[in-house]
Amino acid sequence: MSGKHTHKPFEGHMHDFEAHIRAVEEDLEYYRAKRFEPRIFYLIRRGVISFYDLLKARVALKRSNQFFKLKKPQGKNIEARVRYLEEWLDEYVKGIALVSARAVEAMDMVTEDNRKERGDYDDFFKIKKKEHHGTLEERMANVEQDLKDYQELLEVFVQTLINRGWSTRAELEQRWKQLHEERPWAGGVIVAKAWSDPEFKHALLTTGREALREMGVHQGKVGKLVVVENTDKVHNVVVCTLCSCYPYDILGDTPWWYKHESYRTKIVQNPRACVQDMFGLEVPASKEVQVYDRTSDVRYFVLPQRPTGTEGMSEEELAKLVTVDSLLGAGYALEPSQQKEAEKLGATPEAPRVRPD
Amino acid sequence: MESTASKYKIGDAVMVAAENPTGNPRTPRYNRGARRVIGAVHGLLENVRDHRGIHKPLYTVRFDLSEVSSCHDQDSIWVDVHEEWLSEVQSQERN
Repeated sequence: MSGKHTHKPFEGHMHDFEAHIRAVEEDLEYYRAKRFEPRIFYLIRRGVISFYDLLKARVALKRSNQFFKLKKPQGKNIEARVRYLEEWLDEYVKGIALVSARAVEAMDMVTEDNRKERGDYDDFFKIKKKEHHGTLEERMANVEQDLKDYQELLEVFVQTLINRGWSTRAELEQRWKQLHEERPWAGGVIVAKAWSDPEFKHALLTTGREALREMGVHQGKVGKLVVVENTDKVHNVVVCTLCSCYPYDILGDTPWWYKHESYRTKIVQNPRACVQDMFGLEVPASKEVQVYDRTSDVRYFVLPQRPTGTEGMSEEELAKLVTVDSLLGAGYALEPSQQKEAEKLGATPEAPRVRPD
Repeated sequence: MESTASKYKIGDAVMVAAENPTGNPRTPRYNRGARRVIGAVHGLLENVRDHRGIHKPLYTVRFDLSEVSSCHDQDSIWVDVHEEWLSEVQSQERN
């Protein structure tokens, strides 16, 4: 993370277009080079699909067949155009989830296969990410072109899976609909309940996933869940320095900065300086910082401290104070005044674009 | 699936191997060849969506950042690592 482009813990409004575009650039390259293209290589190596299937699917692909149906930007001003690119990225990420290994059983692929294929353990296999230069205008034009290109390959890939009989259009359409359903933000629901119900909090901290049964959120399935509690004495931070393991099966997709090499390197070298520089978070000297670096078998998130001035608030109100960043130790939960300010500006706490499934 | 299957207990001093020839690649570079203390015992964990087969029991090992840098002396790193990476600390390695 170079120079002034720091990630703010909570961007209530869009004053910093450059930061927004940078987040789109970073996430787009991550999803292309780490999530999507390695899967194509994996399947081609094993003959599940071939280059020639992709070529044929490209010819057969009709506009009416496409899953992406993007609206036009809501105006010509820069804010509308930035939002348009963000929404397009959201659709691209959902498109990758549409044909994820667990959505298409026939792929017989586990996450570890993808880690090998994308070079997590061997630089030889790394797929180079694009670098972004130029003025904001130029970068926005480049991102738009990339989105167009990347989306097209994804559509061709979806069509290929259908052509080869690995999935059906009806199945995928059903799943595409599910991916667009609005659901409550699980992080907010869980944390608000833990703040309000001591018995639940105890269960969450001691039994993890078990405590999420019958809560109306996804209980998840990926490894063991450990929730670590922030207190007046301890500030917990979470990282995966090997890749970017995260309880996506409960919380949805991962924030872009968490996957960034800069965060993953610096947080284990000097965590205090890292959270200060990258998120503007000053952890008081009276608190011990504990950084949790995981393998894939335990997925951690942080139970942030309940903000002051929230006495008597309902769980529904409390849930709105819980940002993704606060679940990773990169921020605190919002105070009610911060949340109100954000709401006035039409923003909601960062929630994931792909909900767990 | 409980800690009875695990060789080490909380508070034990362990050495993390520098390399793992059996093929489990999952411990970060900074954790290799280092002396650590067991901070939590997770036991055997099944994780079929993530990888094939079951790794050996999982632990969280900890160390103080002050051991490796001039960071705030209270701060610590807690790293998850499977048992095949760990060995007992020999007497000459203590302290």
